[in-house]
Amino acid sequence: MALVEMEEVSKTYRDHVDVPALRDVTLHLEPGDFAAVVGPSGSGKTTLLNLAGALDQPDSGTIRIGGLDLTATPPDKLADFRLRRLGFVFQSFNLFPVLNVVENLEFVPALQGVPQRTRRAKAMALLQVVGMTDLAGKRPNELSGGQQQRVGVLRAILTEPDLVLADEPTANLDSTNASNLLDMMEQLNHEKGITFLFSTHDPQVMERARRLIRLKDGRVV
Amino acid sequence: MLFLAMAWRNVWRHRRRSVLTVAAISLGLAFNIFMRGLGDGFHEQMVDNSVQSHIGHIQIHRAGYHDDPAITKTLPDPAAVRQAIEALPNLRGFSFRVLGDGLASSAENSAGVGVVGVTPDEESRVTTVHRAVVEGEYLDPGQHKPALIGARLAKLLQLSLGDSLVVLVQAADGSMGGEKYKITGIFRSGSPDLDRGMVYLLLRDAQSLFALEGRYTEATLLLNNSSGVAAAQAALTAHLAGDGVEVLPWYVVEPYIQQFIELDDAFFYVIVLILFIVISVGILNTILMSVFERVREFGVMMSLGMKPRQVIRLVVLEAALLAVVGILIGGAIGSAFTLYYASAGMDLASWAEGAAAIGMTSTVAYPKLTALNLGLSSLAVLFVVMLVSLYPAVHAARLRPVEAIRHV
Repeated sequence: MALVEMEEVSKTYRDHVDVPALRDVTLHLEPGDFAAVVGPSGSGKTTLLNLAGALDQPDSGTIRIGGLDLTATPPDKLADFRLRRLGFVFQSFNLFPVLNVVENLEFVPALQGVPQRTRRAKAMALLQVVGMTDLAGKRPNELSGGQQQRVGVLRAILTEPDLVLADEPTANLDSTNASNLLDMMEQLNHEKGITFLFSTHDPQVMERARRLIRLKDGRVV
Repeated sequence: MLFLAMAWRNVWRHRRRSVLTVAAISLGLAFNIFMRGLGDGFHEQMVDNSVQSHIGHIQIHRAGYHDDPAITKTLPDPAAVRQAIEALPNLRGFSFRVLGDGLASSAENSAGVGVVGVTPDEESRVTTVHRAVVEGEYLDPGQHKPALIGARLAKLLQLSLGDSLVVLVQAADGSMGGEKYKITGIFRSGSPDLDRGMVYLLLRDAQSLFALEGRYTEATLLLNNSSGVAAAQAALTAHLAGDGVEVLPWYVVEPYIQQFIELDDAFFYVIVLILFIVISVGILNTILMSVFERVREFGVMMSLGMKPRQVIRLVVLEAALLAVVGILIGGAIGSAFTLYYASAGMDLASWAEGAAAIGMTSTVAYPKLTALNLGLSSLAVLFVVMLVSLYPAVHAARLRPVEAIRHV
């Protein structure tokens, strides 16, 4: 069974003018996929990720992730779903400035109710895997952009979600840092089988993705 | 603990702003504690002064006397009353009196007065008149028809120590009673009413004047502390049930004191309410600004799975932490000021006339610090701050993550 099943999904943003962001998009992702949604600005990449991330609802169509129909799930349950089944990597890193690195990693498991000792141990173990234990006590403003984004990825995968959604994760990184980040994500994809779905303009990401989903004017081409 | 740490650190992200907010909370609380303490101390002194100057904690009369204080309404069974009083555990003293209206005259003038016949020994354990004597001496049973009058009455009648005072009354048998007394003492209690309106005689002389031999119009008693009044009243009422007497606490005998206290309290609460509203506006501004500055952060939190009610809890927790710091500092400042003046006293001499009118014989007030005052004031501040924080908290919880994440 596919991990992500989007069937005939459409989304229009209604303001002064109606803007159709997605039109009849059908998309399936298998577990372990390392896929990228590509397309020009305004093609609907971010909208697709928002819908797959249960952050928004389509106007029509269905979205199933891990068997759960997101379109038929109430908002409170969607929050729970995001907490336990999804991971997010943001373009602007979006680490919590008042928490240090290891505390940022602990944020999601803390919300899940994982005991402090357990989540601390897990966070430190993950930092050790990627060779970043020396950064554990540092606040985000003490890290470089590349370091922050790597922490962002670690935060997203610490609880081993089914799916990690990464919206332009390399947009604010130089090519070296972007490459290092992709190395880490590929490693996690291989070793832990976590499914990654990116939205990206970055050719490096497109090259590394094993699957490309091209969007143009809200449609899959 | 992670969210507690997060909340605590968020509070101090904008140090200056938080320090100002804490300062507002602290000063507001300190003011509240001190003014409440001053009020409590003032009220307690007022009650004590009134109680100890004349009325006592409890008065016992014949039933119906309070509504119609006729000289013929004497205690039906003084022995039973005495027995009931002496059984009280918290008793400091009691005095059986004869009390009636009369006309005090001198060669120069005359004035309506209250004539009080007392046993000096008993009376000195209930009231402080004996300590207020400024000329001559307190009533002496060895003297022949001595009279103790207030300084204002002496001035009005143009009488001095050793002069004669004529008192005319309507006696209990309907006849006109009149006697001449020698002024052996002049007192200044600080209460204009007492100093102008009372003439103290020996009990035997007053009983003779009013044709009340062996009888009394009231028994007045003083307890060790005013907190025992209700219990003592209940005990006396039960003991003397069916004896045709009324047992009245001080606040029924002189209701204006309690009314003044209640009015004073009401004004105080209005002032405190206004103060809290003003402080709340400042706190609301601080928390709102803090939320508006973190729209994206809240979007990220909710994207990662934080539920709206958890967002509310986080914002309210931040407000509560601000309040706690303010409470600790404000509580310390307010307590320190109150304790200092509780010991040193606060001179309200500029309000001496007004203070005397409501039973204060001293212009020095001693505030009181109680655990109840401190606790309730602190809880009130915490409650108000948390209540005020609900609006920005709900605002944060209602953010749409999709839009909030993109907020610049």
